[in-house]
Amino acid sequence: MEGVLAMPGLERVREKFLGLLAERRSAIALHTLAALDAHSPAETEAELLEAQNILHKIAGTAGSLGFDTLGNEARASEEAIIATLQNFSSANLLPLIEQLDVFVGMCGDLLTVKSDRTG
Amino acid sequence: MEAKMKILAVDDDPIILELLTQFMDAVGGHELVTAESGAEALEVIEQHAMAPFECFLLDIQMPGMDGVELVRAIRALKAHAHTPAIMLTAMSEKRYIDSAFAAGATDYVTKPFEVTELKTRLGLVQRLVPAAQPSTKKIFAATPQTEAAPLPTQEQEIALFEPISIPDVDNVIRHTALENYVTQLSRNSLFGSTIFAFSVRRIESFYDALSGFEFRGLLADTAEVISNTMQGHQFLMSYAGNGIFVVVTESGWRPDMEKLKDAVNLALAQTEIYDNSGERLQPRVVTGKPIRLVWKVGSSILQSLADAHSSAEEAAVRKEQDLGNIWMVREYG
Repeated sequence: MEGVLAMPGLERVREKFLGLLAERRSAIALHTLAALDAHSPAETEAELLEAQNILHKIAGTAGSLGFDTLGNEARASEEAIIATLQNFSSANLLPLIEQLDVFVGMCGDLLTVKSDRTG
Repeated sequence: MEAKMKILAVDDDPIILELLTQFMDAVGGHELVTAESGAEALEVIEQHAMAPFECFLLDIQMPGMDGVELVRAIRALKAHAHTPAIMLTAMSEKRYIDSAFAAGATDYVTKPFEVTELKTRLGLVQRLVPAAQPSTKKIFAATPQTEAAPLPTQEQEIALFEPISIPDVDNVIRHTALENYVTQLSRNSLFGSTIFAFSVRRIESFYDALSGFEFRGLLADTAEVISNTMQGHQFLMSYAGNGIFVVVTESGWRPDMEKLKDAVNLALAQTEIYDNSGERLQPRVVTGKPIRLVWKVGSSILQSLADAHSSAEEAAVRKEQDLGNIWMVREYG
């Protein structure tokens, strides 16, 4: 664990964050796939904006809870979505999808570690 | 002992609100109330009207009413026209931060934040809360006026060096907020901005001749003329005391100071400003040197603010000396 913070009650917030991360990870994956399968650029944009909002939340708190790497990757993915939407084309969509896939995988790894510890 | 504040935190992320709750316990038990949206926040503010909040922590990016709209709505409430408002932002984009300051924000903290940083920012705003104020009012320009100072009445006097608040003029914010703003520029590597200042010539004469109420009116009118003249450019401005208006511009605009000074003075000449006896006041300004903020870090940023201030003051003194010399030459001639 990175940047461990010593603060009473923080462990409870970390647990809640990880609980939410499972939901958020699924949501990002669903929006990413929907963006890929969309029938119009407008649909793709709407799905990516949903994913961006979730990444934004993760980026805003992960670092404060000691999950610096996850937070940095969430921020990088959020910025990648913003950049892609500013200059949208099907050619630059695929690298973004790959980046989001990596992020979803990273969330999965973190949740697996948590599950191993608690299980 | 530091006073505790009653704080309202608004964020649509429940994790942030829980984190803030933990942080408040860690930094000394401020009273924290939370809301998950701008609309809910306004309801909560109304519910707590009998014991108003002393500080706001507001997320910028929220669905529905965002943090910029919320701080604007809070400022419209009489009880909270000057209550410190710290914006919470995960964004480094300057436009959001500029908008928040222009709407009335006092300071901002970048997410993810650390407890030490939040403690520092809260400590800074704590001194702006009335309960934390010393009973003796400081009057020198280096010391910002209290955020919660009441609006002036005709009877209240103000000091020449007092960095008074000038409300309701576009892009004009309190001097404390401008200081926070430039300090944050360094932290976030938002370089490329320029600082300069206007000095109202013969400000002492105006100050001596006018009541506090009239003097404040003169400054408000001058601020409005300066702000209107610079419309179309991105900037924030504050009144720093002693007739000095400090301006921080957005990257990309390097004003021609002579032309800008002439444009402001032309606009001032065309603006009818009167004292209470109906006598027309004719303020004129000079400008100091523009100071680029590139490569400035830490305390040198605030030093740049002070340098811009001094440069404008010196320009005003030089202008009067030059005018004096012209009269001397004419008399000898």
